[in-house]
Amino acid sequence: MTAHAPILLEAIDVEKCYGKFAALGGVNLRVRANTVHSVIGPNGAGKTTLFHMLTGTKAVSGGRIVFDGQEVTHEPDYRRVRRGMARSFQVTSLFLSLPVRENLRLAAQGVTPRQALNPWHEPVGPRALSQVVDSVLAKVGLERMAGTPAGNLSHGQQRRLEVGMALAARPKAIFLDEPTSGMGIDDLEDMKQLIKGLRDQHTVVLIEHNMNIVMDISDTVTVMQLGRVLAEGKPNEIRGDDRVRAAYLGNMITGGKG
Amino acid sequence: MKKYAYFLLAALVVLAMPLTMQSGSLASEVLIFALAAMGCNLLLGFTGLLSFGQGIFFALGSYTAALMLTRWPVPMPLALLLATAMGALGAAVVGWVAIRQRGTYFVMLTLAFSQMFYFIAYTATGLTGGDNGLMDIPRPNLSVLGVELWALASPWQLYGFIAAIFLLVFWLLLKVSRSTFGRTLLAVRDNEERAAAIGYNLKLLKLQAFVISGAVTGLAGALHAMMTGLAPLSNAEYHTSEMILVMTVIGGTGNLLASLLGSAFYLLLADWLSQLWPRWLLLLGLALMAVSLWMQRGLWGLGDSILQKLQGRRAPAATVDAKGEQA
Repeated sequence: MTAHAPILLEAIDVEKCYGKFAALGGVNLRVRANTVHSVIGPNGAGKTTLFHMLTGTKAVSGGRIVFDGQEVTHEPDYRRVRRGMARSFQVTSLFLSLPVRENLRLAAQGVTPRQALNPWHEPVGPRALSQVVDSVLAKVGLERMAGTPAGNLSHGQQRRLEVGMALAARPKAIFLDEPTSGMGIDDLEDMKQLIKGLRDQHTVVLIEHNMNIVMDISDTVTVMQLGRVLAEGKPNEIRGDDRVRAAYLGNMITGGKG
Repeated sequence: MKKYAYFLLAALVVLAMPLTMQSGSLASEVLIFALAAMGCNLLLGFTGLLSFGQGIFFALGSYTAALMLTRWPVPMPLALLLATAMGALGAAVVGWVAIRQRGTYFVMLTLAFSQMFYFIAYTATGLTGGDNGLMDIPRPNLSVLGVELWALASPWQLYGFIAAIFLLVFWLLLKVSRSTFGRTLLAVRDNEERAAAIGYNLKLLKLQAFVISGAVTGLAGALHAMMTGLAPLSNAEYHTSEMILVMTVIGGTGNLLASLLGSAFYLLLADWLSQLWPRWLLLLGLALMAVSLWMQRGLWGLGDSILQKLQGRRAPAATVDAKGEQA
């Protein structure tokens, strides 16, 4: 079913060079709507760089990016948010002195950034965006922490708020960069269920090192190595792929980890 | 009630000064520099931008008001408005260039503008009077259509006029700081990378903060020119920016009332110390060190912690909400 879903995001021959070093050497990627599409690969394979290109955090050196039928290659990140892209960060990136609720309100308001220039009206009533904020609070299970400054949350809570920040923008596509990094075992299952549940309303692009999670919830897995795509397919195809086995995963998939 | 608490406190300070102070000029100066420090606070405390350009906007305001009142006799309120606009314009230019960089390079750019402006002011003697500055600036009474509303001849009369303007601006800035704009600035201050990632155009937000800051600082400069009757070259010196920054930091960043506290503390301490010892600036340096080392939230933060400790004895569960909220 999902194999025939329309393509929401397409990267065509995307390149990124830092000086003479090519972090990405022509990557092609097609992400279908309402799927969980994981990008895996060893450290330094270019996963996060690819993320930066897709979300517009950094500019491409070559190639094109098409999102929802629109060419977005040269749009900066804040403009792509308005088209329905939102991301979380590998290293938690929150407004630490502001309460959880305010973090989410700001993220929700980011879709209509003109409001942010309004120097007269307080964010109350409809400007408080309570409906969106409340529903995200419930989704990431932080209702009871709504008034707490984000800096006072535990690591696991901060990781969930990190995902919530992306959700608050009500995006078409949500990009999650290692959402489980540094998480304890107890929090992992919650995060897994949370990501799995996103597929109904969003398209998920996921970078993740935990193979247990990747193989369980992904519709498509793309394996990267040295700035290129090594293989792509359904989780069980990737599991059985000899090149992937040789290059990277081997025992990790067959039961080494998790 | 809480919503108006800061405004009422500011009004209280404004009313208390004539009752406790001898010099109307010193009291006026406190409010004038409180305006400038609030403008600085909007950038430093709310947006996280350390600008050495504040002296430019202050000097632009004082030169504009001086020129308007001496050469092209326009009504006094209009002169103040034009000075405000000039401050905003100057801030738009400085901001437009400086916000292209972040961190150290942003600071260096504002410093470069500050140096350049000083030499322009020094050279353009036709407009600024160069080294001599502009002198004999009249202080016309406030009148509308020939009806005199407010005499400004005595220092305390002028104080009343400045106090009214101060409270109006304080109220406006309080509005701004609580608006969606002000709240988004806090996000920019906390984490620029995330603010951009969730959809905000950082340049536009910073530029608007600059323009508002410049307008308020320009107005302060204009009132200063009216009060002293002078628009000296020293206003354009880097020292003016430094003084405004020091007041803002000593008072406490991120809170507008703290800027009034910082201005009052700086000027009253300077007034007192300078009578005791000609090298008083040295002691001010020590005060700044103490703030930087031990009380980074400034005098305001110090008062806040003491108050919380006192309250803590009675009600141990202080809410976390109050901490996150900024005025």
